[in-house]
Amino acid sequence: MNREIVKTIALVVVLGAAWQAHAVDAKALYPNMAPLDQYLIADRNAEIELARSAAPVSISGDAEVLVLGQHGYETAVKGKNGFVCLVERSWTAGIDDPEFWNPKLRAPICFNPPAARSYIPLTIKKTELLLAGQSKAQMFESIKSGLDKGELPTQEPGAMCYMLSKQGYLNDHDGHWHPHLMFFVPLTDSQTWGANLPGSPVLASKDTEDRLTVFLIQVAKWSDGTAAPTDTH
Amino acid sequence: MNRKTVRIIALRSFALVIVLGASQTRAKDSKTPYSSMAPLDQYLMTDGNAEIALARSAAPESLSRDAEVFVLGRHGYETAVKGKNGFVCIVERSWMAPFDDPEFLNPDQRLPLCLNSPAARSHLPLTFKMTELAMTGLSKTQMFDSIKAAFDKKELPLPEPGEVCYMMSKQQYFGRKYGNADPHLMFWIPKTDDMFWGAGLPGSPVYVHQYSPEPITEFIISVSKWSDGTPAPTD
Repeated sequence: MNREIVKTIALVVVLGAAWQAHAVDAKALYPNMAPLDQYLIADRNAEIELARSAAPVSISGDAEVLVLGQHGYETAVKGKNGFVCLVERSWTAGIDDPEFWNPKLRAPICFNPPAARSYIPLTIKKTELLLAGQSKAQMFESIKSGLDKGELPTQEPGAMCYMLSKQGYLNDHDGHWHPHLMFFVPLTDSQTWGANLPGSPVLASKDTEDRLTVFLIQVAKWSDGTAAPTDTH
Repeated sequence: MNRKTVRIIALRSFALVIVLGASQTRAKDSKTPYSSMAPLDQYLMTDGNAEIALARSAAPESLSRDAEVFVLGRHGYETAVKGKNGFVCIVERSWMAPFDDPEFLNPDQRLPLCLNSPAARSHLPLTFKMTELAMTGLSKTQMFDSIKAAFDKKELPLPEPGEVCYMMSKQQYFGRKYGNADPHLMFWIPKTDDMFWGAGLPGSPVYVHQYSPEPITEFIISVSKWSDGTPAPTD
């Protein structure tokens, strides 16, 4: 998902040369996977708390929580309301994302039930494959195969997620960026929601490898209720 | 963005649900100032171009300039401008408000919307049907029953996946109580729980309106700017 975030942030920031320079720097900084420990959070409770910070406690308090272990995501807390919260790492980014291996990246997300069923399997599968030793290219080939064979789901109607964590770190350029909601739909054009047009509050990114389009809407407050910086787009 | 206003709208919707849950009496005509249709002329805009501009103001110009536009005539909505991008803009009138809204049938209400293609396919038939019923002079109770029957018989469509509706007009007018509210996006889904999107919970940026008798759930997300790019009021 960080690919969507990074692409979207790029759309928003549109810093041209500055962004390009950042991307080049990032690619040089993160050419390969770092030692696994750098991606892990040693304190399990801290990871649970970070995952839950993606949404207001009224949602995340009763959500299932997944944490990253040595071999993939594990259920740390069983949920009661159908939402699932976890902290994504950098490898959910796109294949060409310069920060694909950035070990500092932490993206707390709380998914609603349709997204938990249709989006999270992608994250879990990618993570398992990479931690099992597959290369980036092999992982994406496996995802393609999984989607082709129907072993991985297409996005369900109404799939969405919360990303309202002030503690998130989405990339080196933007840190936690802005609180936002994301909506997952099977691959479609940004125009279907009027996204990415001047003045539109909707941003979009097509994720061809995962065969979905992400629509993103900024909101005014972090999950803790504090006001976010004023919109920049 | 004026979350307080949206919360008020959400509360209004919540109140609607409670009232509906209590009894059908909420559909009965009440002795409010707007308990029956005013003369039709009060709902119409005499300047067709002004209505087109108002409809388009629901979304940024980059989106609405290529949209199809409907305007309200004496016999219902008519196409005023053909579109090129699949979006449809329209100014709804007060009969599209919740049935128990005290300002239902307030002739001053003007609710500009721009709908994407899926939303246009499923929502406009409801708008046109409600408009037809209102212009026929039916009572609120009759309108309620007619809409319920239409959904029961599947004569009106349910929302499709991927619907989105822009309501970002600074000129929108919800009536005396809510004024122009705030800019927001709306999403219609076949009737579901509020929790489907985590709506209506403390701290959630998603508000919800459970339609009735229509089997539709509306999720509402405030945005920070009006369609003209000016910032909306904050809390």
